[in-house]
Amino acid sequence: MPEGPLSYPFSAVFGMEAAKDAIRCAICSPGIRTVLIRGPSGSAKTVLCRSVEGLSGRRVVNIPPGADMERLFGSMDMERLLDTGEARLEKGLVAEAEGGLAFVDDVNLMDERTSIALLDAVVTGTIRTERDGISEVSSADVVLIATMNPDEREMSDHLLDRFDICVSVSPAEDSDARREIASRRMRFEDSRADFCESFEEKQSEERKAMEDAARIVPLVSVSDELRLIVSEMCDKVGAEGVRGDIAVINTSIALAALDRRDSVTRSDVERAAAMCLVHRRRYIPEPPPEPPENEEEPPEDREDQKDQEEPPRDEEGSQEEPPEDREDQREQNAEMSLPNIDDMMFEVGRQFRVIDYLGKGKKAVKPSSSRKGRRSEQECAGTSGRQVSARIPDGKTRDIAFGATMRAAALSQKGRERGSMRIVVEDSDIREKVRRARTGCTVMFLVDASGSIGARRRMSAVKGAVLSMLKDSYVKRDKVGLMVFRRSSAEVILPPTRSVEYGYKLLEDIPTGGRTPLSAAMTTASDYMTAYSRSHPGERCYIVLMTDGRSNVPYVEGADPNKEARELAEDLDVPGIQWIVVNTGNGFRMVDSASELASHLGALYFNLEELDADALASSVRAAARL
Amino acid sequence: MSRVSTVFPFVDIVGQEEMKRALILNVVDPGIGGVLLKGEKGTAKSTSVRSLGGVLPSRKRVKGCRFGCDPNDKDSMCESCRSLLAGPGIEIEEAPMEVVELPLGATEDRVAGTIDIEHALKTGEKRFEPGVLARANGNLLYIDEGNLLEDHIVDMLLDSAAMGVNYVEREGISFSHPSRFVLVGTMNPEEGDLRPQLLDRFGLSVDIKGEHDPKTRAEIVRRRLEFDDAPERYAASRSEETEKLRSRIAEASARVRSISVGPEVVDAVVSITSHFGIDGHRADIVMIKAARANAAFEGRDRIISDDLVAVAELVLPHRMRRRPFEDSSIDREELERCLKDL
Repeated sequence: MPEGPLSYPFSAVFGMEAAKDAIRCAICSPGIRTVLIRGPSGSAKTVLCRSVEGLSGRRVVNIPPGADMERLFGSMDMERLLDTGEARLEKGLVAEAEGGLAFVDDVNLMDERTSIALLDAVVTGTIRTERDGISEVSSADVVLIATMNPDEREMSDHLLDRFDICVSVSPAEDSDARREIASRRMRFEDSRADFCESFEEKQSEERKAMEDAARIVPLVSVSDELRLIVSEMCDKVGAEGVRGDIAVINTSIALAALDRRDSVTRSDVERAAAMCLVHRRRYIPEPPPEPPENEEEPPEDREDQKDQEEPPRDEEGSQEEPPEDREDQREQNAEMSLPNIDDMMFEVGRQFRVIDYLGKGKKAVKPSSSRKGRRSEQECAGTSGRQVSARIPDGKTRDIAFGATMRAAALSQKGRERGSMRIVVEDSDIREKVRRARTGCTVMFLVDASGSIGARRRMSAVKGAVLSMLKDSYVKRDKVGLMVFRRSSAEVILPPTRSVEYGYKLLEDIPTGGRTPLSAAMTTASDYMTAYSRSHPGERCYIVLMTDGRSNVPYVEGADPNKEARELAEDLDVPGIQWIVVNTGNGFRMVDSASELASHLGALYFNLEELDADALASSVRAAARL
Repeated sequence: MSRVSTVFPFVDIVGQEEMKRALILNVVDPGIGGVLLKGEKGTAKSTSVRSLGGVLPSRKRVKGCRFGCDPNDKDSMCESCRSLLAGPGIEIEEAPMEVVELPLGATEDRVAGTIDIEHALKTGEKRFEPGVLARANGNLLYIDEGNLLEDHIVDMLLDSAAMGVNYVEREGISFSHPSRFVLVGTMNPEEGDLRPQLLDRFGLSVDIKGEHDPKTRAEIVRRRLEFDDAPERYAASRSEETEKLRSRIAEASARVRSISVGPEVVDAVVSITSHFGIDGHRADIVMIKAARANAAFEGRDRIISDDLVAVAELVLPHRMRRRPFEDSSIDREELERCLKDL
């Protein structure tokens, strides 16, 4: 049993059955090693995770999202080195959790390489350390429970796939539940002991059930028929590889065992699928949805919604439009005398060599020392970033590279007055860490895919331009993301990634049509990138807004959409994010809304055609001849 | 600890024939230059590489050498082996090849090797402590998620791979030792791309597709779960097939250099590579070596056109002149037509 103050009992956590099931499965089955709980802040996911210690009786090690590789996997044991002269590994957090659980709050805020290394260690059950003079392979028998707040930053599919189970939680909404949760919490805080006591019976039932389940798990059988169903299901939702298949089977086995059965049923599989496949779901381009044999075929072929058990939250994105909107749209269409422009797809138009649009223009960002090649990896000052090597410091340093310092000192021990000490370190031995972080660029493309742009057949040209810029990023190794806005909202199609090819595939399939919610789009993009830049300190963030600058859906009902967009733009000119407006309009208009918008955003501004380096060059040449 | 040591039996990996073939060919002839496995998540890339450790043949090395020097390659031997050679002579031992992993978080000092601090503190002597590149000598060096590796680590790998020697000049240490290894990398294309210099280093490359047939998927899962339940027992139940494959690989690797490469083979290879518009001689050489290794593995003593067909898909696509956004693949019919003309 844990010592220290009593934590909130698992059994006293109200609701959140899906998350509780996930945790139960992970505790009773050795096949489930990683669980992710997604939910907005205030949804008690942390409370739930912390309650696991009291439930499982196993050690729970807390891993902060800021932990670096050394902290996770260990580094040289300084004390021992100084004491005995032996170079040994000091255990990291993962090793400390051996045989127990590790808990990571806000795993999505962790440095990506670090989180991949962490998940790999847990999934393969092996820690491989090759750092700071230490080489070691050790076992990692750990269950990892992680939480994330999807409002902050999304994780890559690649990382998500390493979670056996992923469930979403949301704060309880009905007032009875809220009352109950609040009063339990109050009782707990007033007198932890009494409160825990009152749940002790339930807790011990729960513990007993789990111990029993752990014994039953190895005895549970899964019929071949169900195995086949699982694989069909996984293929249908587009889960890549077989990690999903394995997770569904292991979870169904755990669920059956928790229910004291020794064989898996169809309903176990369905429940398991809801826990294991939602985060592995992929958008499959041509869905020929045959009528499902079973009505409750759990996951549907949709990428957007993540919640399965809970009712959808107040996300406007990608939901059906409200009827009034549709009416407006008819009006709109009539106005443009284009009856049927909804959801048209345009091919990717001409591509070209792109000018250095991030650096040009009137409000250039701080120039970097080297403009050549990739812009993404830079040495960084301060103590963030990963250590990549060590060097002799220029003056005093506070970021001492211990291993390197000791190695330097060890070389010059001869002739030093050592006295009773193992090693004498002098100033000249001190080495400091060289750290590196991805301080490169992240470029979010915010593309107007509304009807107005489709109507003018400009979408092909726009896609061509976006693709050209994507290619440019590919060469320069920026991260790129893609958001598209139309109808009533903006949608993140591609979270920032270094895989540009993937962006291209998605770009091809963007449908065009509907109205232009410019204000909403700018707000969504700004919020997204603000959160993103917060979790990627040092990274330069750009939003490339591709628009003709005209809006026809206001954020606030009844407002003048264009005026609103301009006013909003003023507020969105925030530090940390550089806007770039690319005018996709034809330039026939008297009032250039896009350039006006750009000036309010403090943005760099280009006409679509200006991005073409060759065209620009030729126009410069033409101008020079005159 | 069993999770650390027992690997899934290579012979029981379902499907993924190209990947398996590419790995085997590299073991048969390490001169092919390694293999890059590109593909979706969870497609047994890492499993296969680790499993390969179970079927690797043994090799000769200098007994007691910390760098596993190859007794037949006197030019690249480490200092101590050289002095042994000049004096009392070297002893030779047989040791199985292994898969040496380079973890994502590896630091420079551990990859290249550096001063042995314990030794220095205790004796006051400078001694080089071998790193991953030393352990990799004569073995397979496996980099998982190659695209996530730090650039400067990649640079070290490239230098060693190119020269077969690891030169260390750091922290007051000046040292060199042989470092010849079969580079095996995996990457997930969604996570970003490999640097072209690294890409070009790999002799072979395989694009791995996930399995979509539910029956096959279910079979993969069944085997995997059965293995997870009792790894040693599972591995033992396949030991006969494993042993068979190991000796087949060992025989092939013993024979591979005796297979003659006639002018007609060289002609065929060159006409294929030029037909597919591939520059540089590396592709020609790799293709010849791969075809030869394939012939050896198939138990033949000469290279036939089947061998060329079998390896074309592994050698050519990643070398075809390709722009960032185009798929590259080899048209099999075109290839066969190309061979028929010869």
